[in-house]
Amino acid sequence: MAEADIQTTLCRPEIGDALNVDETDQNRTAEIAANAPRYRRKSSTFIDGIHDVAEDQGDMAPAQLYSTMSGRLFHSGRIAIVMVGLPARGKTHICVSMARYLAWLGVKTRIFHLGDYRRATVGKGGQVPEDYFFPNASPSSVILRQKILKKCREDIYAWLNHENGQVAIYDAVNPTASSRRALAKEFAKHDVQTLFLESYVDDESILRENARNVKINSPDFVGMDPDEAAKLYLKRIDMKIPVFETMNENELNYVKMINAGQAFFYNNVSFNYLSHRIVFYLTNLHIKSRTTFFARAGPADEDSYKADGPLSEEGRVYAQKVAETLIKHREQERQAHIKHAGEEVPLRPLTVWTSTRLRTIQTAEPLKDMGYKVRQRSQMSQINPGVCEKMSERMIRALYPDEVEKHELDPYHHRYPRAESYHDLAVRLEPIILELEREQNDLLIIAHESVLRVLYAYLMHCSTMDIPKLKFPRDQIIEIIPAAYQNEAKQIHVTGLDPKCVPGSPEDIRIPVPSGPPSGNLSPIPGMASPAEMEEPPARPPVIVVNTAKEMVADKVADED
Amino acid sequence: MPRKTNGVGVQAEDAQICVVMVGLPARGKSYIAQKAQRYLRWLSIPARTFNVGNYRRTDAPQPTADFFDMNNAEGERKRRAAAEAAVADMLQWFKSGGVVGILDATNSTKERRQWVMDTISKEGIEVIFVESKCDDEALIMGNIRDVKTTSPDYKGQDPETAALDFRNRIRNYEKIYKSINEDGDENDYTYLKVMDVGKQVIINRIQDYLQSRIVYYLINLHIRPRSVWLSRHGESMLNLEGRIGGDAALSYRGEEYARKLPDLVRQSVGDDRPLTVWTSTLKRTIATARHLPKHYNQLQWKALDELDAGVCDGLTYQEIKDRYPDDFAARDDDKYNYRYRGGESYRDVVIRLEPIIMELERSEDILIISHQAVIRCIYAYFMQKDQEDSPWLPVPLHTLIKLTPRAYGTDEEKTSANIKAVSTWRGKGSTAKHEDPVPEGGI
Repeated sequence: MAEADIQTTLCRPEIGDALNVDETDQNRTAEIAANAPRYRRKSSTFIDGIHDVAEDQGDMAPAQLYSTMSGRLFHSGRIAIVMVGLPARGKTHICVSMARYLAWLGVKTRIFHLGDYRRATVGKGGQVPEDYFFPNASPSSVILRQKILKKCREDIYAWLNHENGQVAIYDAVNPTASSRRALAKEFAKHDVQTLFLESYVDDESILRENARNVKINSPDFVGMDPDEAAKLYLKRIDMKIPVFETMNENELNYVKMINAGQAFFYNNVSFNYLSHRIVFYLTNLHIKSRTTFFARAGPADEDSYKADGPLSEEGRVYAQKVAETLIKHREQERQAHIKHAGEEVPLRPLTVWTSTRLRTIQTAEPLKDMGYKVRQRSQMSQINPGVCEKMSERMIRALYPDEVEKHELDPYHHRYPRAESYHDLAVRLEPIILELEREQNDLLIIAHESVLRVLYAYLMHCSTMDIPKLKFPRDQIIEIIPAAYQNEAKQIHVTGLDPKCVPGSPEDIRIPVPSGPPSGNLSPIPGMASPAEMEEPPARPPVIVVNTAKEMVADKVADED
Repeated sequence: MPRKTNGVGVQAEDAQICVVMVGLPARGKSYIAQKAQRYLRWLSIPARTFNVGNYRRTDAPQPTADFFDMNNAEGERKRRAAAEAAVADMLQWFKSGGVVGILDATNSTKERRQWVMDTISKEGIEVIFVESKCDDEALIMGNIRDVKTTSPDYKGQDPETAALDFRNRIRNYEKIYKSINEDGDENDYTYLKVMDVGKQVIINRIQDYLQSRIVYYLINLHIRPRSVWLSRHGESMLNLEGRIGGDAALSYRGEEYARKLPDLVRQSVGDDRPLTVWTSTLKRTIATARHLPKHYNQLQWKALDELDAGVCDGLTYQEIKDRYPDDFAARDDDKYNYRYRGGESYRDVVIRLEPIIMELERSEDILIISHQAVIRCIYAYFMQKDQEDSPWLPVPLHTLIKLTPRAYGTDEEKTSANIKAVSTWRGKGSTAKHEDPVPEGGI
């Protein structure tokens, strides 16, 4: 398939549905990323868009506070963040999370995984020579290495200089001090500031855990005791990359993240605001993987923002069903994992967050009664509807025709009188986003649809045009599973609900939202047939919506970068 | 750990943090404490510093260096009592709703830190140690001369004798000083260690968001001497008409101010060193900055744009009162929190200025040319003005303000260009187009 063809195929919205993504497309993801600099476009809100390239350069990011002519923010120039660290140190996870956060703030960020370039160069199934990482490698290996590095670096410069990029994250091992010094010099020549970020791990248990998480599916280790497999894997790394020098270069800007965020050391030659901001983010990040669930708050009789009323009778039933469904699902997942991995795993602890609004607190009550920890966060209150409270769309149109017009042009940034915009909400939710990264337990967030939209958009990297249109019907819990390369979304069906309380929540703010182009994918439930005529709709199995990154992750088994 | 609840569940927002300073005297601990307190209050987080030295002074007002000798039992007892009193007051303050308490003392031994840790964490309050470590003798002596000889401990004494005595006091501390986790047995503590004024930093075991936020602010600080100059744009055509907002050009007198500004700035700076100039993206600030010397680097920040008055943009106060009487009253009632329809509140402006403040803390000499509300917020940050007062501060046109941060506050110097301009200050309830500020010695 020619490059152009691939692009158009990936642009087609129905492909984005991804339940039926063409196998060949999946297999070619790495190659596309490496060889086609125009990359994949976002095609569904169900796909984590973190590796996509935005089509509209003028688009503001969800929590962007201002814009500049150059497109670069915080008066920081062009920055290369250069990763340092052996495999199984969580580098890719750090890169992807950092990119997600920076993009959220409006900083144009892209990740360049050297591994993608290596795979594209040696071809599918190909291997780099044994001595590829050796300091005394053969000339042919050195040439190969140079060729791969050069291609990757050229793409970085091209993106920073010609595509208005601001932060390029360079994901590679970078094992020696001399190579790092050379790299910083090289970037400086192109007027790019370099910040090194090393993930340093000497805690054996973290290393083993990382190795097990990433390598568990490799055919090399099938049937092996997971601990043994992890050990073998780590030994292989040592053999492949015999020389690794931890950072100690006084003249370079670097941050050393020690044992997955337990401590940080940094050497500050010329940090700017953005560098500090990155450190701030990293102090909240950890590299353990855990799941986030989203559930709507149940309905109330008195549907008013100001009244903050309690759950209705259906709402109580809903709360009970959500709790039961979630617990059943988690146990099923655990059993599936045991079957697959052949080892006993304990259930990860679950924490529940609600807002301080009564309905969300009461929706969490069944779980609280079962002994789960429930925390209330005031920042997670729903979007303030302002004057639109309890108004029909027709009434708003009659009373505020100018406002409606403005709203339809920019539903994300526009505020009705006295109301909050989605942008206001996103800025207000920043502490929650950092705490979300900080949380180590599995997390269930029970909140108003407006809050779920914004948090979901952060985790799945949705555009501001899509955020106000995302839908979270009550008959499903959304599960977001972090993977090394990108996040996955899954829908868990909640059965036995009063159909009245499932869709188009009556308590939602009736801010009219333009219907938009019929992309067909914006509702997280494809084919949500109204179950009105059915007594009890049959239980649907959980649906994994997409995992275009599966190949990438599988490939990481053999990944030494 | 005991935690507050609100009857329907445990609150997460109830994290209370005690920031415990660590370090030898003259390492800028009070400076850091005072900055952190100001920053947190500016962001509406209740914060307070408890300086153990102030408690000790009630008991031993002007002690000599021997007082701080570890073999001086009397001195040791009094210093311990001062620390206990400060901690007791702090715990009391936490009970009344304090969120971030800062314990400003040397806490230079492991035993003392252990005691602080035990006493405070027992009350369910998180502890984060913040150490400033510096071995640059010139920097330390400079700090002693600047700050310590003017301290109440040495009031009325010869500065040179005072400096010498203080150096001896430090030596007494040095004998027992242990840097945090120096021996590797304080690895369980949450701490931030800043070495050589931020050149190297260690962050250990950050436990929650608020801690990370404090650390983030502190690592942006530096203590190199510098000043910040603030000016509003020159008088604009809309100023003449008493209209707010808009994006108008300068008036004739505004142009005159723009031409005079380079001289005014040079005089205030005192030499030819270049400043970095930050303006907003609006015409009137860019025009005001355009005659400044070519070697001044100029940057335009969207975040420095005037408070967005939404539907009231371009109106006079009388028009606002006529068209939106409720809004007019609501704004006077709580000007800090009032958000214009479709526009911003002062609180919103503070939030969007946060990156500016952070960048200001990091930078050296900066000249900011911006707008009334924005200058009020920045000024309130440096001068620690209350939220109720800051939206009412008079910031006259055609005036250059120089702010110089010092260890115990900020020095302010105001130079008028002596070019007439209308007043844009407005008293509570008033709709006058141009009204003289109530003389109260603000800006």
